[in-house]
Amino acid sequence: MNVPIPYSWLKDYIKTNASTEEVAEALSLHSFNVEDIKKIDNDDIFEVEVTPNRGDALSILGVARELKAVLPIRGFKCEWVQKEKTDIEKINAVDKIEVVIEDKTLVPRFSAIVMDNVKFGESPKLIKERLEKVGIRPLGNVIDVTNYMMMDKGQPMHVFDYEKIVGGKMIVRESKEGEVITTLDGVTRKLPAGVIVIEDGGGRLIDLCGIMGAKNSEVDENTKKILLFVQVYDPVRIRKASMVLGHRTEAALRFEKGIDYEGVIPALWESVKMIKKLTGAVVSSELIDIVNFSRNPKEINVDVEKINKIAGREIEPEKIFSYLSALGFEKSKDKDNFVVVPSWRYDDIKIPEDIAEEVIRLYGYYNLPAKLLEGQIPVVETNKIFYWEKTARYFLKYNGFFECYTYSATTKDKAGEGALKITNPLNEEMTYLKTSLLPQLLDVLDKNQSYSDKIKVFEIASVYLRSGINEEDKIPSQPVNLGIVTHGVDYLDLKGTIESLFEIMGLNSSDVSGSFSYEIRDFGNENLGVEINFESLAKMANKLKSYTPLTNFNSIKEDLTFEVPDNVLYPQIEKTIRETDERIFKLSFKDVFKNYLTFSIEYLDKEKQISSEDTQEIRKKIFEELEKIGVRLKVL
Amino acid sequence: MDNFNDLENVKAYLLERLKSASSFDDISKVKSEFLGKKGFLGKLTSDIAKVPAERRKEYGIRLNLLKKDIEDQISTYEKKFEKDLSKLEYSDFYRSLPGKKPSVGHLNIITQAIEEIVEVFAPLGFNRVRYPELDREYFVFDALNMPENHPARDEWETFFIDCPRDEKLGRLVITPHTSSGQVREMLKGNLPIRMLNISRCGRRQIDISHVPSFYQFEGLVVDENVSTANLIGVLDYFAKKFFGPDRKTRLRPYHFRFTEPSFEVDIDCGICHGKGCKLCKKGWLELGGSGMVHPSVLKAGGIDPEKYTGFAFGWGVERTFMMKSGTKIDDIRYLFSNDLRFLEQF
Repeated sequence: MNVPIPYSWLKDYIKTNASTEEVAEALSLHSFNVEDIKKIDNDDIFEVEVTPNRGDALSILGVARELKAVLPIRGFKCEWVQKEKTDIEKINAVDKIEVVIEDKTLVPRFSAIVMDNVKFGESPKLIKERLEKVGIRPLGNVIDVTNYMMMDKGQPMHVFDYEKIVGGKMIVRESKEGEVITTLDGVTRKLPAGVIVIEDGGGRLIDLCGIMGAKNSEVDENTKKILLFVQVYDPVRIRKASMVLGHRTEAALRFEKGIDYEGVIPALWESVKMIKKLTGAVVSSELIDIVNFSRNPKEINVDVEKINKIAGREIEPEKIFSYLSALGFEKSKDKDNFVVVPSWRYDDIKIPEDIAEEVIRLYGYYNLPAKLLEGQIPVVETNKIFYWEKTARYFLKYNGFFECYTYSATTKDKAGEGALKITNPLNEEMTYLKTSLLPQLLDVLDKNQSYSDKIKVFEIASVYLRSGINEEDKIPSQPVNLGIVTHGVDYLDLKGTIESLFEIMGLNSSDVSGSFSYEIRDFGNENLGVEINFESLAKMANKLKSYTPLTNFNSIKEDLTFEVPDNVLYPQIEKTIRETDERIFKLSFKDVFKNYLTFSIEYLDKEKQISSEDTQEIRKKIFEELEKIGVRLKVL
Repeated sequence: MDNFNDLENVKAYLLERLKSASSFDDISKVKSEFLGKKGFLGKLTSDIAKVPAERRKEYGIRLNLLKKDIEDQISTYEKKFEKDLSKLEYSDFYRSLPGKKPSVGHLNIITQAIEEIVEVFAPLGFNRVRYPELDREYFVFDALNMPENHPARDEWETFFIDCPRDEKLGRLVITPHTSSGQVREMLKGNLPIRMLNISRCGRRQIDISHVPSFYQFEGLVVDENVSTANLIGVLDYFAKKFFGPDRKTRLRPYHFRFTEPSFEVDIDCGICHGKGCKLCKKGWLELGGSGMVHPSVLKAGGIDPEKYTGFAFGWGVERTFMMKSGTKIDDIRYLFSNDLRFLEQF
């Protein structure tokens, strides 16, 4: 989450000789990335990308704390500006508030105080300007104070009009399904169960806790008494509610990342002081501070050896402890080499590795050496599919094919029967997961119609099959397929391309036909397509080629053309010829014209020189065998 | 004496014929005219019968010399015209025409990028793997130290699949990152690990720098004594091999739930090398995330974090390739547009 941090505001906390750019660089290299520096009225506003584990830094105070640790490492001065102490005055407590908390886990810390004699009005210029610099609209002094403190200290807070809280009673509870609340922005929201809300003595919901106050208890120009309200809520419930309601307010974003439990009361008193100064109000109730948590100070081992092992360089223990101390980690009083985690980092720092990160980032990652790996190289078998994918890709490329990559999701029509559906799709065009590569590849043909008369494209990618959910992993089968689609290409040319690919992969037609089948589909309009489970194919593929000893005898070659009757298919003819005599060394399809089929035949005898008498004899046998299935030599 | 005269005449005639020849073909004709079966030389040989017996020996010697002479002369002229051999079929004009290219297609640049990445990491012993694009939340989040309802899960813009939830493994999702392969790789039980997982991922976003389907490459090393310095070493090696020998990387602090410490990796700008220029502004460009594997992740993978450490990095293939100077692709969506006019340029 990005927070705007005006440099002028930071100066409330730190005094340094570093320039704007130097501050930004120090933050970026040691703490958080400064994404941008904006200029507003001669002020520099750092756009700081605070990582989600660092809720403590979503404020001017938080960023200042980091700078205090980091700037001296970069060689700059950085002094902490002591703020004047807020005196806790003697209180004339006339107003009361009755608090009922149904479930202590909802609100680990509940604090509030009533102030009387409030004069609602505009805030002074400085406050309005600062709020505007951080993107918050000034709404009037007491409200502005709560927003100001949220940005300053990272503690969201709220003010109620005290007199609008019926019976001065607040019941903190979880919402029931279907309850309704109208929030300050005028939106009426229907709540699911489990949202933290406050009900007053009149049975009305007066706060959508941690997200936004309710309209029915808001402060306005007639407000005389306010209830200043500073809490820590259960981050998980706040997050859930804010997500479900789709209302991600600045307050909610902070609450869900965790609040410094120890920062609550100081923030409250500082707000009281500001409100007094701005409006002339006085405190009119006791401080209510209900603590529903018990936390022992968290102590973590500073494992110097581990830190050095993670860093890959030795960092002296004195340095390690000085970095930690600069970040607010004090040495444990009773345990050697342990530090106490500061309250604002309580949730974030848990294990020695977390301490290592703090130390090494302050040391500076850019100060670590670059070392290549030293250990032994693992001996593992590489999945051979990668080799075959590469082979197939280059084979297709050098045969004129273009490689496509299409999205995994498509429309219901194109995804195919039984396709898996995305529950939160981006749009209708990408809602179902494809079960075949072909429909989207056919779209590619469509789209590129004007490119050329002949188009050949392919894709190697997964398809997603609902039927294949495996028992162990509970994930669907996602085989890698090869999809090929052509326009204006002859059927046999496409078939030949695939057969050729199979040959390169060491697969002959009998290997393939037994356990594997593919079909060239005719999509009309001269479009053909074929899809092959490439994963299965690659498993059968074989790089190993064995050789047949060569002979010194010559072969005899000839072409024979046959007339084929209607009911006979090519493989049958080929098989018949092949099985006639073992001296038929090579047999290949040469041409077809109408029902005339031409073969090239090569005869070879490995034992002796074959003669024309021999071939005549073989030929005669071929004719006899073919005669049985009605195939005859073409008569000229 | 006539016969002896013939010998002289034949030679004179040969020279005359050879001089008037204008091509290799002409020489071939002369050759057969003189040396062929029914050529002059044959005739002269059979004439030996007409020569008086006492001079036959001399005639024979003269004939042999002549034969040798003819052969030499012809061979000399053959050499002279040899170059013309080709000229017969291919004229200068024909040779000036452009060649007829075999039809060659094009591989998508995603493929080219993946190949380059594999080639860089292979010599360092990284073994290429691929993990499923659809996986359960357990491997995508829980095993990576992101428990249910953790805000960190938001950042991944995850697509969920309408498929029954599994009690232990959670919902079915499109993996928003290749890191889901980390624990799967660890669970294979082979140590040490040097994995390069290149897989398709998906996230709910589409604009000039994001597509809902994309590829990531993920490096994972687990071994005894693996340090941040090793990560820097490997990333520097990658940057130099992939982007150029004068480039370098740097790490900045970041946060991921599955690494501790976590880093963002920058590469220095190819133009100004870190000083800052008009093109890059700050001197450095963001490559992607990385970190030292979190002990919880090692535990989820059945590895003892007290004995082993590791690092991981996972970046977008397309994005990384587009950062390479020279491709000039300003919109990542082109890579999935399958416009042949675009594809043919690579």
